[in-house]
Amino acid sequence: MSTTAAPPSQEGGFTRRDFLRRLGYAAAVTVAAGGLGLWRHDAQGPVVQSPKKVLSGLGDFSLPNFRGEAGKMAIAEGLDRAQTVGRGLEALGGMGAFIQAGDSVLIKVNAAFATPPALGATTHPELLAAVAKLCFQAGASQVLVTDNPINDPLTCFRISGLEAAAKQVGAQLILPRPALFQPVSLPTGRLLQQWPTLAGVFTGVSKVILLSPVKDHQRAGASMTLKNIYGFLGGRRNIFHQDINGIITELALLLKPTLCILDGTVAMVTNGPTGGSLSDLKETGAMVIATDPVAADAVGVEILGRRLDDIPYIRMAAAAGAGLADYERLKPVVIPAK
Amino acid sequence: MPAKRTRPVSTAQQLTGLIILATLGLILVWLLVQQSRFNPAVTALQTPRSTAVAKAGPAASPQATALVPQVAGFTPLGPVQNFGPENLSDKIDGKAELYLSAGFRTLAVQSFTLTQPAGAYLEVFLYDMGEPQNAYAVFSSQRRPGSTGLSFRPNAYATTNALFFTAGNFYVEMILDRAVPDVAAVLEPFTTALVANLPAAAEGGNPAALFPQRGLVADSVRLQAADAFGLAGFNNVYTAEYSVAGAQATAFLAQRPDAAQAAAEARRYQEFLQANGYRAVQNPTIPENITILTLEDFYEAIVVVEQTLAGVHEAPSLAAALDLAKTIQEALTRKR
Repeated sequence: MSTTAAPPSQEGGFTRRDFLRRLGYAAAVTVAAGGLGLWRHDAQGPVVQSPKKVLSGLGDFSLPNFRGEAGKMAIAEGLDRAQTVGRGLEALGGMGAFIQAGDSVLIKVNAAFATPPALGATTHPELLAAVAKLCFQAGASQVLVTDNPINDPLTCFRISGLEAAAKQVGAQLILPRPALFQPVSLPTGRLLQQWPTLAGVFTGVSKVILLSPVKDHQRAGASMTLKNIYGFLGGRRNIFHQDINGIITELALLLKPTLCILDGTVAMVTNGPTGGSLSDLKETGAMVIATDPVAADAVGVEILGRRLDDIPYIRMAAAAGAGLADYERLKPVVIPAK
Repeated sequence: MPAKRTRPVSTAQQLTGLIILATLGLILVWLLVQQSRFNPAVTALQTPRSTAVAKAGPAASPQATALVPQVAGFTPLGPVQNFGPENLSDKIDGKAELYLSAGFRTLAVQSFTLTQPAGAYLEVFLYDMGEPQNAYAVFSSQRRPGSTGLSFRPNAYATTNALFFTAGNFYVEMILDRAVPDVAAVLEPFTTALVANLPAAAEGGNPAALFPQRGLVADSVRLQAADAFGLAGFNNVYTAEYSVAGAQATAFLAQRPDAAQAAAEARRYQEFLQANGYRAVQNPTIPENITILTLEDFYEAIVVVEQTLAGVHEAPSLAAALDLAKTIQEALTRKR
C-alpha cells in the first residue's frame, strides 16, 4: 500500500497538513495554558488569613419601638454635660427606656487621639462617666467602653481622660487586640468587604451607645456619630479617606446602635479632627440624644453652623436607609438651659 | 537556519492568527478590568497589621531625636515618636492628607510635662515638609483667625494655649492642655532651643507682599499646595481675603515658570468653572484682559499678567469681583 503524501507545495514544501498540524499544536498549547489558568483561578479572591467567620455587620441593637419615624430625640441646652445628658434622657423617659436590668452595654467613645480633654478632639470623660453611671443606675450588669485608635490605644485612653472616667464609675475598658478582630463583608457594601472590624467587643452585648463629640473634619467635613463608627474598623483604614462619604454611608449600615449621644457642648468648629488650639473650639451648648444616628448628625451639622449640603454623607446614609436626615420628623424635645 | 517563508500567508492563516491575537487582547482587557476593581481589603489583611491592631509609631530616628531639645522644666513623658508618609494618619487620622498633599516627609512628636505651670501637658509636633513653601502651606492653611502674631520667626503666631511657626523646611506646633496668660513666654526656653537645633534654611519671600495691600485682611494669606478650589493639579496657589466694595472676597495668585504656562492654566481654570455651571459675564465695564464668570450669586475673575495667574474667587457681586481684579492687575503690572 503506497502512502499518499499530501501534494507538496509549489514553493518551500509547506503543505496543508503542515499547516493543520501546527494549528493543532497551537490550539493544544492555548487550551493547556487556558486550562492551567482555569485550574489555578481563585474565583473567591484572596481569603482572609484568619479562619474566622466573615460577618455581614456588627449588629442591630436598636429598639423595635424606636425605629424610623418612631425614633426619639432630645436636645438639651447647657454647658454641664452631666446635667444636659441627664435632662435630655429624662425627657425621653429616662435611661430606663433604653437600658433594662441585666443589659450588657457597650459604649463606643471617640478616643482617636492622645490629646487632653480640654482640646475637644475626643469624647469628653465627664460625659462618659455620666452616661456609664446612668446605665448602671438603670440596671446594666456591665458597661464596656471601647475604641480602636490606631496610634497607641492605651495612651489615647489615658491622655484623653477616658480610662480614668471609665474606672471611676466601674466601667470596663476594652483595648483593641488581635483576637477581637473579625472580618466583615457588608452585603450591600462596595468598600466594606472582608474588612477587619472590632467585632469581638460585641460578644454578650445587648445594648450599644455611641458617645461622640461634634467636630469639624478636614476630609469628611464633620466628624460626629456616624464617623465615630469608623473607630470599629481595623487595618489600614486610612485608604477609605479617598471615598470618605462612601465609607461613612456604609458605616451607617454596619451597626444600628441603641442610643446616640452627640456632645455639642463645645464643638470643634475649625481645624478638625485634631484641632490643637482652644480657639478651634466654640461653646455651642447642646447635647443631642437620639435613637437615630443620621438624625443626630443632622442636628450636629447645625451645631457646626453648616448645611446638609456641606456634609454629603448624611443624605447618602439616609438614602441608604440608615435613618432620617430630616430630624424634625422625630419631633425633637428641646430642653432649654436652666 | 530556519527556512524562509517563500509564499504569502493564506487568508485562513491570517484569520486564525487574528483570532488568536484578538483572544489574547480580550484576556488582557479582562485582566486590566479586574485589576481596576482591586479590593483594598486585601492590602489591609496582607500588611503586618493583618491582625488589625496597629503598633505604635516606628522607633525614633537618631536624627529626629536630636532635633527635639531637652530643656530644663520640660520633662519628657516618653521618647520621640516618628511618623512618615506611610503612617502619618496613625497619628493625625483625618488630617494627614492636608500634609501629604503639601509634600510632607516626616513628623517627630514628643510630649512633656512642665514645671511651670505645674503639671501642664505639652505636645510638640515637628513636621519636616521638605521645602519652606510646603511648611508655609500647612502653616497658613490652619492659621487661627484673631491669633497673636509673634516676631521671633517670620511666620509665627500664638493662641491662648498653643504656638505655631515655620522654621525653614519645618512646621512646628507646640500645644498646651490649658490656656495660659502668655503662651510664648511659657514656651520660650523650649522654642529657642528647638529653633537652634533646626537646620538653617531660607524662609522664602513674604507671601503677603505678593498681594496689593488695599483692603487686604491681616494674616489672611494662605498657600493652597494642591488642587486649589477643587481643580485637580491647580497647585501652589496663594489666596488672601479682602474687604472690597462693601463685601468680602478672596483673591488668588499663582506664579508659573513662564507666561505661556500661566495663560494655559488660566484657560484650564476657566474651562473647569464653565464645566461646573459658571457662565461668562458680558458687560462693557469689564476690561478685555479680565474674564468674569458667574454662578448664582458668586462671581469669579481671572487675570493673567506675564507669568502670574491671578483672580478673584467667590465674590458676592460683580462690582466686588471687578474692583478687586482691577486692583490685582494694576499691582502686578506695576511690579513688572
